[in-house]
Amino acid sequence: MYANPNSIINPSLWPNGPAPGCFFNFPGNGVTPSTSNGGIITRTQSPVTTGTSILGIIFDGGVMLAGDMLGSYGSMAKFRSIERIIKVNNSTVLGATGDIADFQHLQAIIEQKVIDEDCADDGFTLKPKALHTWLTRVLYNRRSKFDPLWNTFLVAGIEDGEPYLGCVDKIGTAFSDSKIATGYGAHIALPLMREALEKKPQMTKEEARALLINCLRVLFYRDCRALNKHQIATITNEGVTIENNIQLDTNWEVANFVVGYE
Amino acid sequence: MARRYDTRTTIFSPEGRLYQVEYAMEAIGHAGTCLGILASDGIVLAAERRNTNKLLDEVFFSEKIYQLNADMVCSVAGITSDANVLTNELRLISQRYLLQYGESIPCEQLVSWLCDVKQAYTQYGGKRPFGVSLLYAGWDHQYGFQLYQSDPSGNYGGWKATCIGNNSAAAVSMLKQEYKEGETNLDDALALAIRVMSKTMDATKLTPDKLELATLTRHDNKTFIKVLPVAQVKTLIADHEKKEAAEAAKSKPPTTS
Repeated sequence: MYANPNSIINPSLWPNGPAPGCFFNFPGNGVTPSTSNGGIITRTQSPVTTGTSILGIIFDGGVMLAGDMLGSYGSMAKFRSIERIIKVNNSTVLGATGDIADFQHLQAIIEQKVIDEDCADDGFTLKPKALHTWLTRVLYNRRSKFDPLWNTFLVAGIEDGEPYLGCVDKIGTAFSDSKIATGYGAHIALPLMREALEKKPQMTKEEARALLINCLRVLFYRDCRALNKHQIATITNEGVTIENNIQLDTNWEVANFVVGYE
Repeated sequence: MARRYDTRTTIFSPEGRLYQVEYAMEAIGHAGTCLGILASDGIVLAAERRNTNKLLDEVFFSEKIYQLNADMVCSVAGITSDANVLTNELRLISQRYLLQYGESIPCEQLVSWLCDVKQAYTQYGGKRPFGVSLLYAGWDHQYGFQLYQSDPSGNYGGWKATCIGNNSAAAVSMLKQEYKEGETNLDDALALAIRVMSKTMDATKLTPDKLELATLTRHDNKTFIKVLPVAQVKTLIADHEKKEAAEAAKSKPPTTS
């Protein structure tokens, strides 16, 4: 990565590693742009336009994803109709938290993948687990180059007749579960989802929807980077439906009890 | 004379032929026979073993049949070292796909990928083509059991039964007559394979050390690839010879005394 000018006199302890007696530029600081790329920093240092939580839950016969439609520009609620949940094909849906540009970059690549598959016309279509595996490899390899895609992804769909829900984060940690939430949702919504699933492990579609809407409401109350305008995606054996622009009823009367609120 | 257009792969002759590719196929025509037969419940691959020298150290289980991934196996005919390079690459392609997508590569995609590589060697780089033809036997969840054949030009096709290598044309015409689509199960296919191989191989008598047989089948949602042990090959050959003797006795008129 960074050429060590004293490498012959003081060979580094490992390739691209520190050489005893020499100053070592730690990778990932972004202080010295790599000359191999014309001096431009190409790594995502910190996200710019971001999306907050995505919630996912498996119910009896399918899986449901929910998330708001906000792209935050730091603390500014700048883009209020961003689709953070997209349909990949008739059996797979993808939702993303984090940097919107990185998500849209991957969205274009995945859309092209679906087109290529269509052209091959050999009956094979991308399945949720396969997309999840591919996404894991891409994200892990990017993080290994210190240039991560600053997102956490939720992959949801029907795999061989069974509902599937998987998650991958920006450093390539991947897992699958019956209930997953990213961002603030992991702290606020996931306990609510766990409680509901413990009471009734095989929820109906309507119960799952009610649960997710309740969680979205709590998130809107508590997450300062959330918006009261949501997407809900439902995937069953019949196919994929994504509803946009869902608004929630909220009750802010409790604000009156907050000291200092006028 | 065509000589002027022979030596480089990447040019056409005036008649529009690629001589290097044709010469490669010529080389394969002298190699040990390989045949494949698609049955309703599996696939049979048979191969003629040429290296039967007793001094050879028995390191390899199979000379010409290679497993590519969990669901595919192939047999090769042609220049062995070229074949080693290609089978290695096929295995790598399969594993890369498995790593990326967490599932087995579809059969035709693997064949197609390698054939694109083979074709590139006939068009770019000034290198000679691979002197290998391959028979691929595999299973995937979309199309079930499949048999493919590829040659040095990079062309491939799907087959119900086919043959490559020495005397392959004779074998293919025999298969055309005797192969019954929809009525052939694995045992029928094995018997047919022995019958055809006995006619096309150089040896006067079939012995297990000269013949390699492999089957690909599915049980309990898993693919099973088996290279038949010597004992089983011996039994199959014995059955074949018994049938041959019975046929011969039938056609001979009874002796009158």
